[in-house]
Amino acid sequence: MSTTNDAPLVATRWVEIGLALFTAALGGTLIYGSLAIGIGWGDAGPEAGYFPFYIGLLLSCASLGNLLLAVVRRQAMAEAFVGRRAFAQVLAVFVPIAVYVAAMPFMGIYLASVLFIGGFMWRARKAGQGHRWLTIALIPCCAALASYLIFAVWFKVPLQAGVLGDLASYLGGLRP
Amino acid sequence: MSEIDSLMQGLSLILTAHHLGLMVVGVLLGILVGVLPGLGAPNGVALLLPLTFTMEPVSAIILLSCMYWGALFGGSITSILFNIPGEPSSVATTFDGYPMARNGQAGEALTAAFTSALLGALMGVLLLTFLSTHIAKFAMEFSSPEFFAVYLLAFCTFIGLSKNPPLKTVVAMMIGFGMAAVGMDTVSGELRLTFDQPWLLSGLSFEVAVIGLFGIGEILCTVEEGLVFRGERARITPMVILRTWAKLPRYWLTWLRSALVGCWMGVTPGGPTAASFMSYSLARRFSKNRERFGSGEVEGVIAPETADHSAGTSALLPMLTLGIPGSATAAVMLGGLMIWGLHPGPTLFVEQHDFVWGLIASMYLGNVVSLIVVLATVPLFASILRIPFSIIAPIIIMVCAIGAYSVHNSMTDVGLMLVFGALGYLFKKLGYPIAPLVLAAVLGDKAEDAFRQSMLFSDGQLSIFWSNPLVGSLTCAALVMLCWPLLAKGINGLRTLLGRTLARRIA
Repeated sequence: MSTTNDAPLVATRWVEIGLALFTAALGGTLIYGSLAIGIGWGDAGPEAGYFPFYIGLLLSCASLGNLLLAVVRRQAMAEAFVGRRAFAQVLAVFVPIAVYVAAMPFMGIYLASVLFIGGFMWRARKAGQGHRWLTIALIPCCAALASYLIFAVWFKVPLQAGVLGDLASYLGGLRP
Repeated sequence: MSEIDSLMQGLSLILTAHHLGLMVVGVLLGILVGVLPGLGAPNGVALLLPLTFTMEPVSAIILLSCMYWGALFGGSITSILFNIPGEPSSVATTFDGYPMARNGQAGEALTAAFTSALLGALMGVLLLTFLSTHIAKFAMEFSSPEFFAVYLLAFCTFIGLSKNPPLKTVVAMMIGFGMAAVGMDTVSGELRLTFDQPWLLSGLSFEVAVIGLFGIGEILCTVEEGLVFRGERARITPMVILRTWAKLPRYWLTWLRSALVGCWMGVTPGGPTAASFMSYSLARRFSKNRERFGSGEVEGVIAPETADHSAGTSALLPMLTLGIPGSATAAVMLGGLMIWGLHPGPTLFVEQHDFVWGLIASMYLGNVVSLIVVLATVPLFASILRIPFSIIAPIIIMVCAIGAYSVHNSMTDVGLMLVFGALGYLFKKLGYPIAPLVLAAVLGDKAEDAFRQSMLFSDGQLSIFWSNPLVGSLTCAALVMLCWPLLAKGINGLRTLLGRTLARRIA
């Protein structure tokens, strides 16, 4: 639902076509993978690829159907999929998430989360929302601490601590 | 009656401080995920699943199901106070709930919504109490072909009755089946579709898909719409509650109709969302105050809420008795059951008698607990939504990421969550449904097993699906549901044609 005075970025039909091609490719991958392990009838009945092969076939056929519909109804699908400004806003959230996810294996979940939440709030402050520096420092740390307590301590699901974990074990090793 | 005995046994099992505490925690967490944008019932249950692995199955299912009830309640809070449906199934509640809140009747609207929700849920639980053993007994006679036919019926109903374009539903469903197929083949133990990628060896887990599709996808959609929470204030005092309760009995017919619609849509995979819309439009058609609908009519709040909750609870009936979930959340819970080592389906009633009746008993108690908790905490949760988006959003994303990670303690799953998030955004904007994908991802292996077993019985002849009256009628029903949109069009066309010829005759 883009705003009215937002310049269109891309027409809906192109996104429809793109997604249909993507799902068709997924179907193709399923078919290819199933063919590799055998889709026929083995000694013990149907082989492992028997069922996924037809799933892949149905997926590709339905995707091609969607593709066809998108091409046929091109007039109806000419309206904007998303406005430029709206999409910029989506990217402003999506790109940080991607960076956050990419940084996680190295930094560990806690440090990455603190930086992610802090960065988000810092950007909002620059954009004119009144977060005080103290809030920006406190909330991310509290969130990380809470997730440590809930997951690692109470429910015994250890989260990857990354650099912080290395640091903790290093400090632990220093002690005599 | 044996049902009453079993129910009493279940009650004695769950009436402990530990379980009551779990109920309150579950309901609170549920309201929280129901209120927060981007988190919903399926998502919340998926996030909580990894934490339940070490629990007793009864405690775990109480926690998860109470979270479900809480999320259903939480969805109505945002619909009424903020005009933002926290759950897709509470969209219909915004039509009259928000106008009521704007007219200063927020307290009445909320009380009416919660109370009718409770009554709707009770109808669903009654259905579950008295029908489930019979259905389970009936389903005991099923063998693989019958089970596959039931799965087929569930999936075809999704395609035929969905508001989304049928081909898109098929695509979403097949992606789910494809996900389920990756990894180890459950029949032969052979690895398949892994393309020599080590991270694909353990398969693609549906929890990660649910968290990405519902959580991240929802956040991206919210950001794009530039949502601002401008809410009405709510004051719920005991006086308001009592005054509203005094007015409610006169809407008994609306309540009964909505509960029946809800139960029907919950048992068949129509789901709570379809149920609430249908019940709202039925209420408008039959109401005396038809013209007041849309501008704050309490009947327009009662109808969708009752249907929503009775559908939500009765969705557990096919899940427990046949192993087929009636909604996306029930699908995630079903996945949980399998992870805990239980086999959903008719044998559950024999082998896990305590578990089943503990769950059913907890549904009576859990819904009452939910009503009390939700009435007491509305102002608290309404104030959560006034926290700036720039704080709430990154925390929700962190919770999603940690949830995805804790499924298998793997970072690849977090990456996958991101991919599913982007896919969820595109799906939502282009009208692809998400629920069938989740359903297929959870049920894929079971459906495949049933199909391959049947093929083994028949030496590869599809005719086994018509080999006896039971399986034959199930398969035929599935095909009818699949072609329902076409059939409905045909019947309508025929009717107008007949009408025209008749009119001409008379003229």
